[in-house]
Amino acid sequence: MSTARDRILAAARANKPAETPLPTVPDFWGDNSLERFSTVLASIGGEVAQLASLSDLETTVHKLWPEAKLIASSLFTPTLRIDQHTPTDVLADVDLAVLPVELGVAENGAVWLPEANMLHRALPTVTQHLALVLDERCLVATMHQAYARLPDGPGGYGMFVAGPSKTADIEQSLVIGAHGARSLVVLVY
Amino acid sequence: MSYLTHASRAEAFTLDHERTSWHDETLWFVRQKRDKAVYAVPEFQELRNLASAIKDHTLSRLDEYLAQFEAAAQANGVRVHWAANAAEHNAIVLDIIRARGATRVVKSKSMLTEECHLNPYLIKEGIEVIDTDLGERIIQMRDEPPSHIVLPAIHLKKEDVGATFFKHLGTAEGLTDPQQLTEAARQHLRAKFLAGEVALTGVNFAIAETGSVVVCTNEGNADLGASLAPVHVASMGIEKLVPRLSDLGVFTRLLARSATGQPVTTYTSHYTKPVEGREMHIIIVDNGRTQQLGRPDFRASLKCIRCGACMNTCPVYRRSGGHSYDFTVPGPIGSILSPNIDLKKHSTLPFASTLCGSCTDVCPVKIDIHVQLYKWRQIVSEANHLPTAKKLGLKFMGRLLASPTAFKVSGMLGRKGLRLLPYGLTHNKTVNAWAIARELPEPPKQSFREWYAQQAQPAT
Ligand code: SF4
Repeated sequence: MSTARDRILAAARANKPAETPLPTVPDFWGDNSLERFSTVLASIGGEVAQLASLSDLETTVHKLWPEAKLIASSLFTPTLRIDQHTPTDVLADVDLAVLPVELGVAENGAVWLPEANMLHRALPTVTQHLALVLDERCLVATMHQAYARLPDGPGGYGMFVAGPSKTADIEQSLVIGAHGARSLVVLVY
Repeated sequence: MSYLTHASRAEAFTLDHERTSWHDETLWFVRQKRDKAVYAVPEFQELRNLASAIKDHTLSRLDEYLAQFEAAAQANGVRVHWAANAAEHNAIVLDIIRARGATRVVKSKSMLTEECHLNPYLIKEGIEVIDTDLGERIIQMRDEPPSHIVLPAIHLKKEDVGATFFKHLGTAEGLTDPQQLTEAARQHLRAKFLAGEVALTGVNFAIAETGSVVVCTNEGNADLGASLAPVHVASMGIEKLVPRLSDLGVFTRLLARSATGQPVTTYTSHYTKPVEGREMHIIIVDNGRTQQLGRPDFRASLKCIRCGACMNTCPVYRRSGGHSYDFTVPGPIGSILSPNIDLKKHSTLPFASTLCGSCTDVCPVKIDIHVQLYKWRQIVSEANHLPTAKKLGLKFMGRLLASPTAFKVSGMLGRKGLRLLPYGLTHNKTVNAWAIARELPEPPKQSFREWYAQQAQPAT
């Protein structure tokens, strides 16, 4: 008996249409300014905060989130150490995660957060609040440029994050803070 | 066996006039948000052309891209399974769960698992399956199917959600504030995420060259589930493939703008390799798709990226509700997918359309939806699945319109008849379904032909 795999592939081979060309996607240039990025991010519930320099990060974080007790970060000495092996019940208590991102996309307010920057895969969504640190020079205009610039392809796991977690599943009323982070600030230096 | 028609199921929905109008207006509002987002991107029409061409090309080499995808995924340490139909898919999922000795499953949105009726199957086997998308969780508690592919609970009002949460989550009676209701669901589901043993997700896009699957959500539920549970199972139809990572540049720019008018979904997550010591599985499902691929007139329906735009814009969907389609995917796209699965059962769906073409206009991958609706009508009628009244009516009209004399005579009779016959007969709801909610026009005194003949006479 042939396997499901063989049968599906054989049926796809037998039933597919004549080959059509794969188009080349042009690079649609566009606005990659910080203004554009900030405006779009604000329109989807996120926020941009300026950072004078990376060395100001820790003080800025404490100033912006005075209430946050358990802070996880790879960029300064955290109040809670998180790594790949951190058990779920510890992850569940994180108030704020401060993580570096590789690039920002001006057209939609998204930033690229690869696994290598996450400490733990669940951290960006399990934390109550999320702060992502972006070098202003890493802003691109569109998703085409973003995909072309992913440092390590898609890596093992990686996400574009655009604003805080949200839902409109109850009567189309927008509610920020569905399951993932309740707020998202991109700290730009 | 006889099936209910779309129109008769829609009747139940339209009984509540206020709710029907609300549904209509809400979805139209989503369509308007889509327009605003789309007009802000100057190259949007070019992106639609590109998306359409990329999907056409992928389908034209589908077997090769599937094999390439499988090899790449396996090289990443992912276990790849193949399922010819829903039963095979469900059995594979159960095997994976059983092999871990697991009983707690958290699931994010997947129309494919809905299509396979996975939940009832797993629950019968003693597995706890929790839908974690807020809309899906609401309807799961109410034991209802989704009524929209992107907005699964769009048929409900906040009062309904409040009553459901009062019953199942113990929220205060009469609570209707969306913010507070969402917070209650967040707390309830967070406990489920933290305890999840197996996470099931759907797939929005699968990348042949890297073996990755991409999942798009706004809530973050797919990521929370898949990155906490030791096992992640992603189910995908064979049509989810795109050849290159860079193709996502096109599709991520189209999907959310077309769906809800957002510039992009909050999370666009790329799953390529499992964390060491954890498992990732991908199940590739056919379930009728290769058959649709073999239908030249209808294969373009496989290009669908499930944005829901064709539903939001459809005047029939908006006023009849998703449940009236009685198919996993409702609306215009569902009406061209469902006859492939069961022509007789879904024979009335291609008729649930005005053929206005609005669906085709908004579709981000340029599927000729209304043309396919028209073509399915021919097939339904050839297969003799038309209701008798419609069959006789069409036959009669066919003869009438083919003969100028018959047309002339019947026009005369019609104009006279409408004036002379009692209202109760011309607007009889059994004889004339069209007149259920409409008034027939005032019959003109003369026909165009009579008028034209008069004009042609030289003035005296
Ligand atoms: S058919 Fe087109 S418009 Fe409808 S859901 Fe699919 S991609 Fe969207």
